[in-house]
Amino acid sequence: MGILSGKHLLVSGVLTKSSIAFHVAGLAQEQGADVTLTAYPRVSLVERLARLLPRPAAVIPLDVTDPESLAGLAERVGRHTGTLDGVLHSIAYAPPAALGGNFPGTGWPDVAATLHASTYSLHGLVTAVLPLLRSPGGSVVGLDFDASVAWPEYDWMGVAKSGLESCARYLAFYLGAQGIRVNLVAAGPLRTMAASNISRDGDGAGDFAALWHRRAPLGWDETNADPVARACVALFSDWFPATTGEIVHVDGGAHAVG
Amino acid sequence: MIQEVSGVPAAEVTSEKSIVDDLDVDSLSMVEIGIALEDRLGVQIAEDRLREISTINDLVDHIDHSLNGR
Ligand SMILES: NC(=O)c1ccc[n+]([C@@H]2O[C@H](COP(=O)([O-])OP(=O)(O)OC[C@H]3O[C@@H](n4cnc5c(N)ncnc54)[C@H](O)[C@@H]3O)[C@@H](O)[C@H]2O)c1
Repeated sequence: MGILSGKHLLVSGVLTKSSIAFHVAGLAQEQGADVTLTAYPRVSLVERLARLLPRPAAVIPLDVTDPESLAGLAERVGRHTGTLDGVLHSIAYAPPAALGGNFPGTGWPDVAATLHASTYSLHGLVTAVLPLLRSPGGSVVGLDFDASVAWPEYDWMGVAKSGLESCARYLAFYLGAQGIRVNLVAAGPLRTMAASNISRDGDGAGDFAALWHRRAPLGWDETNADPVARACVALFSDWFPATTGEIVHVDGGAHAVG
Repeated sequence: MIQEVSGVPAAEVTSEKSIVDDLDVDSLSMVEIGIALEDRLGVQIAEDRLREISTINDLVDHIDHSLNGR
Protein backbone atom coordinates (compact mmCIF):
# COMPACT_ATOMS: atom_id res chain seq x y z
CA MET A 1 0.00 0.00 0.00
CA GLY A 2 1.47 3.31 -1.10
CA ILE A 3 0.64 6.77 0.16
CA LEU A 4 -1.42 7.47 -2.97
CA SER A 5 -3.35 4.22 -3.20
CA GLY A 6 -6.89 4.71 -4.45
CA LYS A 7 -6.13 8.21 -5.73
CA HIS A 8 -6.49 9.38 -9.32
CA LEU A 9 -4.12 12.05 -10.58
CA LEU A 10 -4.05 14.16 -13.71
CA VAL A 11 -0.43 14.83 -14.67
CA SER A 12 0.50 17.49 -17.24
CA GLY A 13 3.98 18.24 -18.55
CA VAL A 14 5.37 14.91 -19.77
CA LEU A 15 7.48 15.59 -22.86
CA THR A 16 10.65 13.50 -22.49
CA LYS A 17 11.98 10.92 -20.07
CA SER A 18 13.71 13.69 -18.15
CA SER A 19 10.53 15.74 -17.71
CA ILE A 20 9.86 16.34 -14.03
CA ALA A 21 6.28 15.22 -14.69
CA PHE A 22 7.48 11.85 -16.03
CA HIS A 23 9.19 11.20 -12.70
CA VAL A 24 6.17 12.33 -10.72
CA ALA A 25 3.89 10.07 -12.79
CA GLY A 26 6.11 7.02 -12.27
CA LEU A 27 6.55 7.58 -8.55
CA ALA A 28 2.83 8.29 -8.06
CA GLN A 29 2.02 4.98 -9.76
CA GLU A 30 4.52 3.17 -7.54
CA GLN A 31 2.70 4.73 -4.58
CA GLY A 32 -0.61 3.33 -5.81
CA ALA A 33 -2.10 6.17 -7.84
CA ASP A 34 -3.98 5.86 -11.10
CA VAL A 35 -2.49 8.40 -13.49
CA THR A 36 -3.88 10.15 -16.56
CA LEU A 37 -1.38 12.15 -18.61
CA THR A 38 -2.04 15.23 -20.71
CA ALA A 39 -0.06 15.62 -23.91
CA TYR A 40 1.31 18.66 -25.73
CA PRO A 41 2.16 19.15 -28.51
CA ARG A 42 2.11 15.56 -29.72
CA VAL A 43 -0.05 12.77 -28.31
CA SER A 44 1.94 9.98 -30.01
CA LEU A 45 5.11 11.03 -28.20
CA VAL A 46 3.46 11.01 -24.79
CA GLU A 47 1.77 7.67 -25.54
CA ARG A 48 5.21 6.16 -26.16
CA LEU A 49 6.47 7.62 -22.89
CA ALA A 50 3.40 6.32 -21.06
CA ARG A 51 4.44 2.79 -22.11
CA LEU A 52 7.72 3.30 -20.26
CA LEU A 53 5.92 4.00 -16.95
CA PRO A 54 5.52 1.24 -14.34
CA ARG A 55 1.78 0.99 -15.08
CA PRO A 56 -0.50 1.95 -17.99
CA ALA A 57 -1.69 5.56 -18.10
CA ALA A 58 -4.36 7.13 -20.29
CA VAL A 59 -3.19 10.03 -22.46
CA ILE A 60 -5.36 12.96 -23.47
CA PRO A 61 -4.37 16.01 -25.53
CA LEU A 62 -4.25 19.42 -23.82
CA ASP A 63 -3.00 22.82 -24.93
CA VAL A 64 -3.34 25.11 -21.92
CA THR A 65 -3.27 28.19 -24.14
CA ASP A 66 -6.30 27.01 -26.15
CA PRO A 67 -9.63 27.81 -24.44
CA GLU A 68 -11.42 25.10 -26.44
CA SER A 69 -8.93 22.48 -25.37
CA LEU A 70 -9.40 23.52 -21.72
CA ALA A 71 -13.19 23.58 -22.08
CA GLY A 72 -13.24 19.94 -23.22
CA LEU A 73 -10.76 18.72 -20.60
CA ALA A 74 -13.12 17.75 -17.78
CA GLU A 75 -15.25 15.70 -20.15
CA ARG A 76 -12.21 13.88 -21.58
CA VAL A 77 -10.73 13.21 -18.13
CA GLY A 78 -14.18 12.13 -16.93
CA ARG A 79 -14.12 9.22 -19.39
CA HIS A 80 -11.26 7.72 -17.38
CA THR A 81 -12.25 8.65 -13.84
CA GLY A 82 -15.20 10.03 -11.92
CA THR A 83 -13.24 12.23 -9.56
CA LEU A 84 -9.73 13.58 -9.45
CA ASP A 85 -7.73 13.61 -6.23
CA GLY A 86 -4.90 15.66 -7.64
CA VAL A 87 -3.61 17.69 -10.56
CA LEU A 88 0.04 18.33 -11.44
CA HIS A 89 0.86 21.55 -13.29
CA SER A 90 4.31 21.04 -14.80
CA ILE A 91 4.06 23.45 -17.70
CA ALA A 92 6.18 26.37 -18.82
CA TYR A 93 6.97 27.94 -22.15
CA ALA A 94 8.73 31.11 -23.22
CA PRO A 95 9.64 32.14 -26.79
CA PRO A 96 13.41 32.53 -27.33
CA ALA A 97 13.08 36.36 -27.29
CA ALA A 98 11.83 36.24 -23.69
CA LEU A 99 14.87 34.29 -22.39
CA GLY A 100 18.64 34.30 -22.52
CA GLY A 101 19.58 37.88 -21.68
CA ASN A 102 17.22 39.86 -23.90
CA PHE A 103 15.08 41.12 -20.99
CA PRO A 104 15.14 44.86 -21.77
CA GLY A 105 14.29 44.26 -25.42
CA THR A 106 11.45 41.74 -25.11
CA GLY A 107 8.17 42.92 -26.62
CA TRP A 108 4.68 42.33 -25.27
CA PRO A 109 3.67 39.51 -27.65
CA ASP A 110 6.58 37.37 -26.41
CA VAL A 111 5.92 38.34 -22.80
CA ALA A 112 2.22 37.58 -23.23
CA ALA A 113 2.98 34.13 -24.68
CA THR A 114 5.24 33.41 -21.69
CA LEU A 115 2.66 34.47 -19.10
CA HIS A 116 -0.16 32.69 -20.90
CA ALA A 117 1.56 29.29 -21.01
CA SER A 118 3.46 29.54 -17.71
CA THR A 119 1.32 31.61 -15.30
CA TYR A 120 -2.30 31.91 -16.40
CA SER A 121 -2.21 28.20 -17.33
CA LEU A 122 -2.33 27.26 -13.63
CA HIS A 123 -5.63 29.08 -13.31
CA GLY A 124 -6.78 27.61 -16.65
CA LEU A 125 -5.90 24.02 -15.78
CA VAL A 126 -7.32 24.13 -12.26
CA THR A 127 -10.61 25.79 -13.18
CA ALA A 128 -11.03 23.41 -16.14
CA VAL A 129 -10.93 20.32 -13.90
CA LEU A 130 -12.56 21.88 -10.84
CA PRO A 131 -15.86 20.01 -11.41
CA LEU A 132 -13.92 16.73 -11.03
CA LEU A 133 -11.65 17.71 -8.15
CA ARG A 134 -12.49 15.96 -4.88
CA SER A 135 -14.00 18.34 -2.36
CA PRO A 136 -12.77 18.24 0.30
CA GLY A 137 -9.38 16.60 -0.21
CA GLY A 138 -8.27 17.59 -3.71
CA SER A 139 -4.64 18.65 -4.13
CA VAL A 140 -3.09 20.84 -6.83
CA VAL A 141 0.70 20.87 -7.17
CA GLY A 142 2.66 23.13 -9.52
CA LEU A 143 6.35 23.35 -10.44
CA ASP A 144 8.12 26.59 -9.59
CA PHE A 145 11.62 28.04 -9.81
CA ASP A 146 12.42 30.36 -6.89
CA ALA A 147 11.13 33.74 -8.04
CA SER A 148 12.16 35.81 -5.01
CA VAL A 149 15.25 37.09 -6.84
CA ALA A 150 16.32 37.78 -10.45
CA TRP A 151 18.42 35.12 -12.17
CA PRO A 152 20.76 35.53 -15.16
CA GLU A 153 19.02 34.66 -18.45
CA TYR A 154 15.84 33.36 -16.80
CA ASP A 155 14.30 36.73 -17.66
CA TRP A 156 10.56 36.74 -18.40
CA MET A 157 10.22 33.16 -17.18
CA GLY A 158 11.26 34.57 -13.80
CA VAL A 159 8.48 37.13 -14.02
CA ALA A 160 6.10 34.32 -15.03
CA LYS A 161 7.15 32.27 -11.98
CA SER A 162 6.54 35.27 -9.67
CA GLY A 163 3.06 35.40 -11.14
CA LEU A 164 2.69 31.64 -10.73
CA GLU A 165 3.55 31.92 -7.04
CA SER A 166 0.93 34.61 -6.58
CA CYS A 167 -1.63 32.75 -8.70
CA ALA A 168 -1.16 29.65 -6.52
CA ARG A 169 -1.79 31.72 -3.38
CA TYR A 170 -4.98 33.17 -4.84
CA LEU A 171 -6.21 29.75 -5.94
CA ALA A 172 -5.44 28.48 -2.43
CA PHE A 173 -7.48 31.40 -1.08
CA TYR A 174 -10.49 30.80 -3.32
CA LEU A 175 -10.51 26.98 -3.24
CA GLY A 176 -9.83 26.61 0.48
CA ALA A 177 -13.52 26.70 1.29
CA GLN A 178 -13.94 23.57 -0.85
CA GLY A 179 -11.14 21.81 0.99
CA ILE A 180 -8.84 21.93 -2.04
CA ARG A 181 -5.14 22.58 -1.44
CA VAL A 182 -2.86 24.41 -3.89
CA ASN A 183 0.91 24.24 -3.40
CA LEU A 184 4.09 24.70 -5.42
CA VAL A 185 7.36 22.83 -5.39
CA ALA A 186 10.30 25.16 -6.12
CA ALA A 187 12.83 22.83 -7.70
CA GLY A 188 16.55 23.34 -8.10
CA PRO A 189 17.91 23.15 -11.67
CA LEU A 190 17.32 19.86 -13.53
CA ARG A 191 18.43 18.83 -17.00
CA THR A 192 15.24 18.87 -19.05
CA MET A 193 14.10 20.17 -22.42
CA ALA A 194 12.66 23.33 -20.81
CA ALA A 195 15.95 24.01 -19.02
CA SER A 196 18.03 23.61 -22.18
CA ASN A 197 16.00 26.40 -23.80
CA ILE A 198 16.84 28.99 -21.14
CA SER A 199 20.23 30.13 -22.37
CA ARG A 200 21.51 30.78 -25.86
CA ASP A 201 24.24 28.13 -25.59
CA GLY A 202 21.64 25.51 -24.66
CA ASP A 203 23.21 24.88 -21.27
CA GLY A 204 20.92 26.80 -18.95
CA ALA A 205 20.72 23.86 -16.57
CA GLY A 206 24.53 23.64 -16.52
CA ASP A 207 25.00 27.31 -15.58
CA PHE A 208 22.42 27.08 -12.82
CA ALA A 209 23.79 23.76 -11.63
CA ALA A 210 27.26 25.28 -11.12
CA LEU A 211 25.64 27.89 -8.86
CA TRP A 212 23.78 25.19 -6.95
CA HIS A 213 26.93 23.10 -6.49
CA ARG A 214 28.51 26.11 -4.77
CA ARG A 215 25.53 27.14 -2.66
CA ALA A 216 23.24 24.24 -1.75
CA PRO A 217 24.05 23.05 1.81
CA LEU A 218 22.88 19.54 0.93
CA GLY A 219 24.55 19.57 -2.49
CA TRP A 220 22.57 19.18 -5.70
CA ASP A 221 22.39 16.67 -8.56
CA GLU A 222 20.84 18.26 -11.66
CA THR A 223 20.34 14.83 -13.24
CA ASN A 224 18.14 13.46 -10.46
CA ALA A 225 14.49 14.54 -10.42
CA ASP A 226 13.54 12.02 -7.74
CA PRO A 227 13.70 14.43 -4.76
CA VAL A 228 11.36 16.81 -6.59
CA ALA A 229 9.00 13.98 -7.56
CA ARG A 230 8.90 12.80 -3.95
CA ALA A 231 7.84 16.23 -2.71
CA CYS A 232 5.07 16.36 -5.32
CA VAL A 233 3.84 12.89 -4.35
CA ALA A 234 3.91 13.87 -0.66
CA LEU A 235 1.80 16.96 -1.39
CA PHE A 236 -0.72 14.79 -3.28
CA SER A 237 -0.93 12.44 -0.30
CA ASP A 238 -2.95 12.91 2.89
CA TRP A 239 0.20 13.84 4.79
CA PHE A 240 -0.06 17.62 4.22
CA PRO A 241 -3.75 18.05 5.12
CA ALA A 242 -3.45 21.60 6.51
CA THR A 243 -0.94 23.02 4.04
CA THR A 244 -2.00 25.29 1.20
CA GLY A 245 -0.64 28.35 -0.58
CA GLU A 246 2.81 27.01 0.31
CA ILE A 247 6.04 26.87 -1.67
CA VAL A 248 8.12 23.82 -0.77
CA HIS A 249 11.74 24.31 -1.83
CA VAL A 250 13.37 21.14 -3.12
CA ASP A 251 16.70 22.69 -3.98
CA GLY A 252 19.25 21.25 -1.58
CA GLY A 253 18.63 24.29 0.62
CA ALA A 254 20.10 26.81 -1.84
CA HIS A 255 17.29 29.32 -1.27
CA ALA A 256 18.10 29.56 2.42
CA VAL A 257 21.71 30.69 2.18
CA GLY A 258 23.45 33.82 0.86
CA MET B 1 10.18 3.85 -37.87
CA ILE B 2 11.42 7.31 -38.86
CA GLN B 3 8.60 7.27 -41.39
CA GLU B 4 6.09 6.45 -38.69
CA VAL B 5 7.24 9.22 -36.35
CA SER B 6 8.00 11.99 -38.81
CA GLY B 7 5.98 11.13 -41.90
CA VAL B 8 9.10 11.17 -44.11
CA PRO B 9 8.72 8.38 -46.73
CA ALA B 10 11.03 5.46 -45.93
CA ALA B 11 12.54 5.61 -49.43
CA GLU B 12 13.98 9.05 -48.70
CA VAL B 13 15.72 7.89 -45.56
CA THR B 14 19.23 7.05 -46.75
CA SER B 15 22.32 6.58 -44.66
CA GLU B 16 24.22 9.78 -45.34
CA LYS B 17 21.29 12.12 -45.02
CA SER B 18 21.11 14.54 -42.16
CA ILE B 19 18.04 13.71 -40.13
CA VAL B 20 17.31 17.24 -39.00
CA ASP B 21 18.36 19.28 -42.06
CA ASP B 22 17.66 17.07 -45.09
CA LEU B 23 14.68 15.21 -43.75
CA ASP B 24 13.29 18.18 -41.82
CA VAL B 25 12.72 16.15 -38.67
CA ASP B 26 12.41 18.52 -35.71
CA SER B 27 13.98 18.01 -32.32
CA LEU B 28 10.74 16.73 -30.82
CA SER B 29 10.57 14.04 -33.49
CA MET B 30 14.14 13.11 -32.60
CA VAL B 31 13.00 12.66 -29.00
CA GLU B 32 10.15 10.50 -30.25
CA ILE B 33 12.46 8.43 -32.47
CA GLY B 34 14.70 7.91 -29.44
CA ILE B 35 11.79 6.66 -27.34
CA ALA B 36 10.46 4.47 -30.16
CA LEU B 37 13.90 2.82 -30.39
CA GLU B 38 13.86 2.12 -26.69
CA ASP B 39 10.33 0.77 -26.92
CA ARG B 40 10.99 -1.55 -29.90
CA LEU B 41 14.65 -2.51 -29.65
CA GLY B 42 15.43 -1.81 -26.02
CA VAL B 43 18.14 0.61 -27.15
CA GLN B 44 18.58 3.56 -24.81
CA ILE B 45 19.82 6.87 -26.17
CA ALA B 46 20.40 9.60 -23.60
CA GLU B 47 18.71 12.86 -24.50
CA ASP B 48 21.96 14.81 -24.67
CA ARG B 49 23.42 12.17 -27.00
CA LEU B 50 20.36 12.54 -29.21
CA ARG B 51 21.43 16.11 -29.93
CA GLU B 52 24.80 14.85 -31.24
CA ILE B 53 23.18 12.49 -33.72
CA SER B 54 22.78 14.20 -37.06
CA THR B 55 22.79 11.64 -39.87
CA ILE B 56 21.10 8.29 -40.30
CA ASN B 57 24.61 6.79 -40.21
CA ASP B 58 25.19 8.30 -36.75
CA LEU B 59 21.93 6.83 -35.56
CA VAL B 60 22.74 3.36 -36.94
CA ASP B 61 26.23 3.51 -35.38
CA HIS B 62 24.71 4.39 -32.08
CA ILE B 63 22.21 1.54 -32.21
CA ASP B 64 25.02 -0.88 -33.18
CA HIS B 65 27.06 0.35 -30.27
CA SER B 66 24.34 -0.14 -27.70
CA LEU B 67 23.25 -3.52 -29.03
CA ASN B 68 26.82 -4.85 -29.05
CA GLY B 69 27.68 -3.27 -25.74
CA ARG B 70 25.20 -5.48 -23.90
N1 LIG C 1 14.16 21.88 -15.21
C1 LIG C 1 14.36 22.76 -14.24
O1 LIG C 1 15.49 23.12 -13.93
C2 LIG C 1 13.17 23.32 -13.48
C3 LIG C 1 13.39 23.90 -12.22
C4 LIG C 1 12.29 24.44 -11.54
C5 LIG C 1 11.03 24.37 -12.09
N2 LIG C 1 10.85 23.81 -13.32
C6 LIG C 1 9.50 23.76 -13.88
O2 LIG C 1 9.06 22.44 -14.04
C7 LIG C 1 8.04 22.42 -15.01
C8 LIG C 1 8.30 21.29 -16.01
O3 LIG C 1 9.46 21.55 -16.76
P1 LIG C 1 10.59 20.46 -17.06
O4 LIG C 1 11.85 21.02 -16.54
O5 LIG C 1 10.15 19.12 -16.63
O6 LIG C 1 10.74 20.54 -18.65
P2 LIG C 1 9.91 19.83 -19.85
O7 LIG C 1 10.34 20.55 -21.08
O8 LIG C 1 10.09 18.38 -19.79
O9 LIG C 1 8.40 20.20 -19.51
C9 LIG C 1 7.74 21.38 -19.91
C10 LIG C 1 6.33 20.97 -20.27
O10 LIG C 1 5.49 22.09 -20.59
C11 LIG C 1 4.56 21.62 -21.53
N3 LIG C 1 3.89 22.71 -22.24
C12 LIG C 1 4.45 23.80 -22.81
N4 LIG C 1 3.50 24.55 -23.40
C13 LIG C 1 2.31 23.90 -23.20
C14 LIG C 1 0.95 24.16 -23.58
N5 LIG C 1 0.62 25.24 -24.30
N6 LIG C 1 -0.01 23.28 -23.18
C15 LIG C 1 0.30 22.19 -22.45
N7 LIG C 1 1.57 21.89 -22.07
C16 LIG C 1 2.55 22.73 -22.44
C17 LIG C 1 5.40 20.78 -22.47
O11 LIG C 1 4.59 19.90 -23.22
C18 LIG C 1 6.30 20.05 -21.51
O12 LIG C 1 5.71 18.82 -21.16
C19 LIG C 1 8.00 23.81 -15.63
O13 LIG C 1 6.99 24.57 -15.00
C20 LIG C 1 9.36 24.36 -15.26
O14 LIG C 1 9.39 25.77 -15.23
C21 LIG C 1 11.89 23.26 -14.01
